[in-house]
Amino acid sequence: MSRAGGRTDGGPSTGPAIGELMAVELARRLRDDDVAVMGTASALPQIACRLAKETHAPDLWFVAGGTCGVNPRLAPAVPSCCDEDLLRADTAVPLSDVVLLEGRGDVFTVFFSGGLQIDAHGNCNLVSVGDRTRPSLRGPGTVGLPFLARVGRVLIYTMAHNPRTFVERVDFLGGPGFLDGPASWAAAGLSGGGPAAVVTPLCTLGFDRETLRMRLETVHPGVTVQQVVEATGFELAVPEVVPETPPPTDDQIAILRSIDSGGLLRGR
Amino acid sequence: MNKVLSLHDAVERHVPDGVGLLAVGGMHLHNNPMALVREVVRQRRRIRRLLTSPCGAFNADLLIAGGLVEEIATSYVGFEHLGLAPAFRRSVEDGSLRVLECDEAYITHGLNAGAGGLPFAPLPAGLEVSDVWKANPESFRLVEDPFTGAQVLAGAPLRPEVALVHAAEADAAGNAVLAGAHFVDRVMAMAARTVVLQVERVVPTEAISRHPVGTTIPGFLVHAVVEVPGGCHPTASHGHYRVDEDHLRRYMAMAGGAEGPLAYVEQYVRGSSEAGYLEAQRALAAAGALR
Repeated sequence: MSRAGGRTDGGPSTGPAIGELMAVELARRLRDDDVAVMGTASALPQIACRLAKETHAPDLWFVAGGTCGVNPRLAPAVPSCCDEDLLRADTAVPLSDVVLLEGRGDVFTVFFSGGLQIDAHGNCNLVSVGDRTRPSLRGPGTVGLPFLARVGRVLIYTMAHNPRTFVERVDFLGGPGFLDGPASWAAAGLSGGGPAAVVTPLCTLGFDRETLRMRLETVHPGVTVQQVVEATGFELAVPEVVPETPPPTDDQIAILRSIDSGGLLRGR
Repeated sequence: MNKVLSLHDAVERHVPDGVGLLAVGGMHLHNNPMALVREVVRQRRRIRRLLTSPCGAFNADLLIAGGLVEEIATSYVGFEHLGLAPAFRRSVEDGSLRVLECDEAYITHGLNAGAGGLPFAPLPAGLEVSDVWKANPESFRLVEDPFTGAQVLAGAPLRPEVALVHAAEADAAGNAVLAGAHFVDRVMAMAARTVVLQVERVVPTEAISRHPVGTTIPGFLVHAVVEVPGGCHPTASHGHYRVDEDHLRRYMAMAGGAEGPLAYVEQYVRGSSEAGYLEAQRALAAAGALR
């Protein structure tokens, strides 16, 4: 549900906008042999994929679910995944075929996710907060997130890093992460590899291999570890040394701004 | 056969009051058949169950705002980057709207099952770890795979009684061309017993038959064709016009106010003919373009 906006939420006040840094962080996690798929409100990962293609991963494929344009040009990027501009692309596939292939499980290697709630094990919830039949907040719904169970790597992104979003356990499990941890993850025997990273306006997180709980990797420039801990509603694993997220290069910024010529990531 | 009907007659004839399962096409704020939806609201057709594509938007929210929907089968109702859908959110939170929780896989494969007469749609392994099926025992069952013996998730076939679908153009027989993305509109049309098409324009059959493989819905599935240029407003019509975000923000603001979404319905839908509504919106757009 997160929009790729330019809200800083405590991020750096000068230099690249926080959305731009997040796009670079996501791009860094994409490989040349990936086939990535994304859905609702996915301008940020679309831009990240295009950036990766134009830098270190020219053979990456990405499908903008909704219209299902394949390798859309962007330039400019658009906020809706169903915008017909996304059909300015190498090719396009009917959505029903993309859904079919998501089920096959060995086609898409990366799936982008997010949520109203994201929990310590990387499970995502877009359905409801509180009791589902009488929720305190009804979200839009889960769309394709149950497919996370079948995808190689899940990259989670959100513009809202706060204790309401980052909770110990989601109220509704719509997008599976590492479920309830190592035992339940092993028992489920899923074909997917689980969540690989979480990129927020404050930091980038990974997962502890033993506990399968979220672990702080890097803090974005100008953000302290304490800020991240306070913005997280569960006990976060924090290594002794937390490096700063490497800033985008001038080259990356120039390419980003040609892709996102309308400035979605800068909040325009 | 000439299937072209007026907006009023198409809804009066083909959308019965208390319709059991009404499907609305389009996805997010694109290709929503809004003229048909507004007419359903004007004629106060009550809907026992509403079905959206994997991502419902204003099409579903306006029917809910009109007080017509008893329950909804959906995997998403929202306004994407603009925010939550106000009537959907309010009605679920106050308990007046029941949600049959679905996901994209079930809606798509369930419609395929409906289209193909399949008894149910078996779903890929792994989907059973989500809470979706547990929240919706009416649509989902865990069954034994007859080949492997494994427990797999199955979804009930989706067979809409009526589908309201937008297409860029169609001939009078209902052979339709979807410009831009297809979303799941083709599958929805194939699964529905009755299909009412809303089009930007009706074209001669010769125009369609010049590119027969470009025809995405064959006329033999279609029962009525309604020509409403601009009729997807305020959502986009691929190949024709874009989303009117200002209008949707006005709706969201009104719906969030004390009177709730019904104030919008009374002013913009029940208080106006379709022609009057579209004329007013065109005038606003023209004034905006002059500013």
